[in-house]
Amino acid sequence: MELVFALVIGTLTATGVFLLLRARTFPVVMGLTLLSYGVNLFLFASGRLTTGGQPILGSTDNYTDPLPQALVLTAIVIGFAMTAFLVVMALRNLADNDDDHVDGKQPKQDAHTSKLEREVTGK
Amino acid sequence: MNHWLTAPILIPLIGGILQTFMGYAPMSLRRTLALATTVLIVVATLGLLFMADDGSYRVYAFGNWQPPFGIVLVLDRLAAFMLVMTSVLALFCHLFALGGADEGNRQFHTLFLFQLMGLNIAFLTGDLFNLFVAFEVLLIASYGLLMHGGGTARTVPGLHYVVLNLVGSAIFLISVGMIYSVTGTLNMADLAVKIPQVTGENLHLVKAGGMMLLVVFALKAAVLPLCFWLPKAYAHATAPVAALFAVMTKVGVYAIIRVYLLVFGDDAGELANLGMDWLFPLALITLAMGVIGALGANNLRSLIAWQVIISVGTLLAPIALGSREGISAALFYMLSTTWTVGGLFLVATLIASNRGGAADRLITAPKMRHRTCLSALFMVGAVAAAGLPPLSGFFGKILILKSVEPGANMAWLWSVVLIGSFLTVVAYSRAGSIVFWRTVDGHLEDKDQQHWPTSFAAGALTALSIVIVALAGPINEYTDAAAAQLLDTSAYLEILDVPVVGEDN
Amino acid sequence: MSLPLVVFLPFLGALIAPLFAQGGRTAIAIASSVPALIGLAALFPHWETVADGGSVLYTLNWLPAIGLSFSFRLDGLALLFSLLILIIGILIILYARYYLKKKENIGKFYAMLLCFKGSMLGIVLSGNLLLMMIFWELTSLTSFLLISFWNHKQDARRGARMALAVTGGGGLALLAGILIIGNIVGSFELDAVLAAGDQIKAHAMYPVALTLVLLGAFTKSAQFPFHFWLPHAMQAPTPVSAYLHSATMVKAGVFLMARLYPALAGTEQWFYMVSFTGMATLLLGAYVAMFKHDLKGLLAHSTVSHLGLITLLLGMGTKLAAVAAIFHVINHATFKASLFMAAGIIDHETGTRDMRRINGLWRFMPHTATLAMVAAASMAGVPLLNGFLSKEMFFAESLHVNLPAFLTWLPPTVATLAGIFAVAYSARFIHDVFFNGSPVNLPVYPPHEPPRYMKIPVEILVFACLMVGMFPAFSVGPLLYAASYATLDGQVPEYHLTILHGINLPLMMSIGAFIGGLVMYSQRHKLFALHARFREIDEKAIFDKVVSQLADLAHRFTGSIENGSLQRYSMLLIVSVIAVAIVPILSLGVFVGESGLSPVDWPTGIGAAILIVSALATAFAHRERFIALVLLSVVGLMVALGFARFSAPDLAMTQLSVEVVTIVLLMLALYYMPSWTPRESLAGRRTRDVILAVVAGVGMTLITLAMLTQPFSSISDFFLENSKTGGGGTNVVNVILVDFRGFDTLGEITVLAIAALGIYAMLKDTALTPPPSDGQGHAWTRDSHPLMLKQLARPLLPLALMVSAYIFLRGHNLPGGGFIAGLITSVALVVQYIASGMVWTQDRIRFKYHNVIGLGLMFATLAGVGSFIFGYPFLTSTFSYIKWPVVGKFEVASAMIFDLGVYLTVIGATLLALVSIGRLSPHSAIKSPRERS
Repeated sequence: MELVFALVIGTLTATGVFLLLRARTFPVVMGLTLLSYGVNLFLFASGRLTTGGQPILGSTDNYTDPLPQALVLTAIVIGFAMTAFLVVMALRNLADNDDDHVDGKQPKQDAHTSKLEREVTGK
Repeated sequence: MNHWLTAPILIPLIGGILQTFMGYAPMSLRRTLALATTVLIVVATLGLLFMADDGSYRVYAFGNWQPPFGIVLVLDRLAAFMLVMTSVLALFCHLFALGGADEGNRQFHTLFLFQLMGLNIAFLTGDLFNLFVAFEVLLIASYGLLMHGGGTARTVPGLHYVVLNLVGSAIFLISVGMIYSVTGTLNMADLAVKIPQVTGENLHLVKAGGMMLLVVFALKAAVLPLCFWLPKAYAHATAPVAALFAVMTKVGVYAIIRVYLLVFGDDAGELANLGMDWLFPLALITLAMGVIGALGANNLRSLIAWQVIISVGTLLAPIALGSREGISAALFYMLSTTWTVGGLFLVATLIASNRGGAADRLITAPKMRHRTCLSALFMVGAVAAAGLPPLSGFFGKILILKSVEPGANMAWLWSVVLIGSFLTVVAYSRAGSIVFWRTVDGHLEDKDQQHWPTSFAAGALTALSIVIVALAGPINEYTDAAAAQLLDTSAYLEILDVPVVGEDN
Repeated sequence: MSLPLVVFLPFLGALIAPLFAQGGRTAIAIASSVPALIGLAALFPHWETVADGGSVLYTLNWLPAIGLSFSFRLDGLALLFSLLILIIGILIILYARYYLKKKENIGKFYAMLLCFKGSMLGIVLSGNLLLMMIFWELTSLTSFLLISFWNHKQDARRGARMALAVTGGGGLALLAGILIIGNIVGSFELDAVLAAGDQIKAHAMYPVALTLVLLGAFTKSAQFPFHFWLPHAMQAPTPVSAYLHSATMVKAGVFLMARLYPALAGTEQWFYMVSFTGMATLLLGAYVAMFKHDLKGLLAHSTVSHLGLITLLLGMGTKLAAVAAIFHVINHATFKASLFMAAGIIDHETGTRDMRRINGLWRFMPHTATLAMVAAASMAGVPLLNGFLSKEMFFAESLHVNLPAFLTWLPPTVATLAGIFAVAYSARFIHDVFFNGSPVNLPVYPPHEPPRYMKIPVEILVFACLMVGMFPAFSVGPLLYAASYATLDGQVPEYHLTILHGINLPLMMSIGAFIGGLVMYSQRHKLFALHARFREIDEKAIFDKVVSQLADLAHRFTGSIENGSLQRYSMLLIVSVIAVAIVPILSLGVFVGESGLSPVDWPTGIGAAILIVSALATAFAHRERFIALVLLSVVGLMVALGFARFSAPDLAMTQLSVEVVTIVLLMLALYYMPSWTPRESLAGRRTRDVILAVVAGVGMTLITLAMLTQPFSSISDFFLENSKTGGGGTNVVNVILVDFRGFDTLGEITVLAIAALGIYAMLKDTALTPPPSDGQGHAWTRDSHPLMLKQLARPLLPLALMVSAYIFLRGHNLPGGGFIAGLITSVALVVQYIASGMVWTQDRIRFKYHNVIGLGLMFATLAGVGSFIFGYPFLTSTFSYIKWPVVGKFEVASAMIFDLGVYLTVIGATLLALVSIGRLSPHSAIKSPRERS
């Protein structure tokens, strides 16, 4: 179980990081979202995994560690606020530079673009 | 329980709430209320300063829950020092903003006050996760402020700033998780108790967590190689915002001082002085990078933005060495540089508004308005920032230079700092002589829009450097005591058995 | 007390004097000379003490931490220099009154002159090396401003910046040196340092300290190879040149060497560094001076050479040489200052300083000519003038410098050679200017005598030259003795101030120098021709070039690193994290702790698989944005299920509701954005990113694995125990949120509120036109609000409100709570917007979201502040049970008010954000009721 959980977190981190390093705002947003999923799961896991338990008194005799859950809840909310803000900044960026490149505009390098062409066309 | 500890947090909170209700209230009313709030904060923080000067720790347990279970505020000399430094800076920035920078959209004062709330929480809290929350509060407010004032120029730098800090927050959470997963606690004092007992494989977990946390703080403090988001963002922000941001990097520095001296301090056993061997060289490189940037800047604002990075390097070097003298010196220098740089940002904006199209770029332009007064202000700021006598920057640097023990570190620190100052002087004299002296014939078309608050705020903030010189003795005594208090971690741990209300009698 | 007074009066004067600027030049001149007069008066009473080697001390603590005290110390040396500064200062003020034109900014000029005077006095009177350091750099700054007084001239600006760079930079070196000395001695107090000479010289750091200190001294006193700044400082108004660059500031370096003579001098290193630098400077300056056609240029280089002479004397190490050095300081100050003033007068009257045009002025201004000629003769070292005396002493000393045998010839030769040049350029100054034919088209013709009072300063100084020259013992004897006493720490050698010491080798050298000089002058045209072959190098231009190239280089370097590419910055951040974490993680390796692994059950395994696959798919398909978004939502859903699976119902619900809102948000965004991402990064970049991603992922996996399998205990048992008894709720997570760690939650909703307000502010005046069609090129449907959805949505709202109310109320005891309830309500409202359009909904929602947010925060805060009244800390909760009719026994906690605050904030924030985005597009003509009416 633990291994699976670890793999899940690993995957989320990896995909998140990869998308974070893209050149357009939208993938970056998605990357950060994936990353925050991973982080939330991780923070949650810092209280260890409990099966069939509950943080509700009287409901069960095997309680989970409630503190990380509370922390994650806070983290989720904050993450939501941040994502919303970031999305809006992306829109603002689009509106100001009518382009959704993270640097406002693509790097103006002919060498770069031509190399790109060759790669894309596979020649 | 001394309710005054919550004042620096509740005053801006309530002030901010009032502002949200006043969406369509007349500007004058909003301004008056907002400024009044900031003034109240200054008063409150000064009160706390005098309170803290007796050298004891004051604890405030939210919800009346015994630490480490509840969240606590802890007031010590360092916290009070940061609070006052920030609130005074904020007061002048706010005053400057009344000159018209707060117009455009109706959220400026709200965001400004929430920003202060976040900063003050960060300085007061004694809980690691709450520190995270504080960071988020001050960051989200800073995002808003950074974007304040419209214009397309600041969108992209803002975007970069936001993305990087979001990643930073993620890393912060990961490290909190790692540390909690081993120690099972979040209260800093409790961590300081638990960390030395960590053994075996857990050591690696905590070490990794601690190092990642250091990266987060380094990102906030703008240490190389994590400092490149700063110059453009600051250079494009509205004047009062940029000036206020002079303190943002210091939050990172504060966090490093607080967490790494207390939790990973000398008593942390296996994990003692975690990461400090990384920090010292990085600080010096940061300083060098800042100097190069300043030398290469082609407008005043980015010159000053790089000055921020120079100060960060100068600050962190002695902190990394961790001697009492070093920390005391760093605190003294922090006070000086924060106010000076803030003032310089304001002055640079005034200059820009008086040079017509040339704004603050280092190019020849028609003779500017108010040249004498502004050049004098700039000179004061530049001298203080470059660390020349007789202004406060000089004293800060002397304190730092004198704080190192003879040896390789000394050689490195001295040469970098001194050569750095020399090149900074060159940079400032170049910039100044171009902006003020190299003029061409021609007249400035646009009208002169000088408001008294702006000029006063800029002048006063810059002039604080002289005040620091006059009070150098007392201030240094205070920082020295603060450093001593910081290094005596055992005293801090006693906050864990502070009685909560209703059970002590 | 009188000492600080002497130092600070000029600064005070600098503040006051400009006020007299309206009163005209005379008024301000008088006003500015007051501080100096008072200063003289204040020093007078100390003469008795100082004359026989005593010293007056005044100390006040300033910054003990760095050993900086506010202490001033007057001894012979300090007195000598103070007198030079004060007296010549007064003369300069008088002279400048006539030199400056009416329209010039005289207020600024006198203010800065006084500032400089104060700093200079500070240097010589400081009793603490750090304090002296402060004044030292102040002189650099003030001279920077004085040189650039005519800042419309490019040369003036460059000269000023160069002077600042060289002297200021040297100052920093000096600072380092002084700090080292302070470390050695353990104090910066002058008395202590001077007493610790042997200790310093014995110390391992002595060579470093000496080198740094000398760097400071040499830069200030324009010693080779730092001499180049001085001639360019001549762009300053002549009074400044006369005062700073001949009499006072350039003497600061010499003063420093004399001041620290007991502490530093008398070693091999001192001897070689100082004497050889001095020799080089002496010769170079004298040589170049000969070939300057600019009057001030000639004087400037001769000043360089004379400073070299003094340095050489101080370097020789013999006591008599030191005495000679101090003596020459006095003499040089007097004759050179008067020469500068004379040059200024000539410039003033003829409009040029070019000696090829200024000829035969004798006919036009005999009086000035006489004065200038006497001074120049003194510079040349003509007997009966003061220059002669110190030069004789110099020649005498140059004969017995203790050098290795094969070098003993060097000093006398250099001395004689320099003497020859000195005679030659002095001769030129006299003959070329005042005789030698008649003027060549002067800008001002005919020139005539300057105003009467302009000559008085010159007359006084020339008179001094004569007096000292003829009655040395009587005129300067005591002062010289006192100064030497201070310099030599009491061991003043036998010396005789007489006009002639009889026929001896020094005299021969002088005579030789004379003949040689006159011969050289007579052959000057050949020499000029010869010299013209070498290209003049203009250090100003070079300096400017270097600086601008430096700036350019720095700019390009910075640009190449700080290139404004977010991808690079993020990469750096990720790399730094990996760099610092990799070592511990590797040493952790694939580690499974004591608690070991638990078996995987099918549903979980499948869920995990789905999650992993869709996460990877999101990454791969990210360029097809819509598909990627759908996949992303699947991941979010799985995460929610994961929370549920591992006993975190609250988290599951929260994650679920947040997920919905987030996806709606991203959909909205995608509506405006291009719906697919072009391929941009090169293969190299992509592989790099993949590698980083994999490393990060693996790292996190290893950490998680180790973490999950380690046994652990936390503070949470406390929460479980006290949740019911202390917090009044059985849902521990919720109790933590609203009670144990309620402050976190307060911060959290504040973040939410700020985010919403920020979004609103950011989008207030932004408009975006969405692309006409979606990615596949289908136009958007015109039917904006499908009927079905409308019909379904409207009844949904009350239902949703009921549900959220229920969730809210049970929150304290069962999964739920204000936050989730809030999100459910907002989702329901959002659905209304989607279904029935913004206008319709907005018309029915009469409240402003700002106020909802404000209200929410207000509730939360008040719930906290409430506890103040009962003397409890912020956010202390209390609770009680009440019987409700139907519901039965029911528990209300004050924390619920707090939770209500959360509820309201969430609704307000979410909707404000979404609506702001919704109203972005000009198409969706949504206006708030207020705006429409």
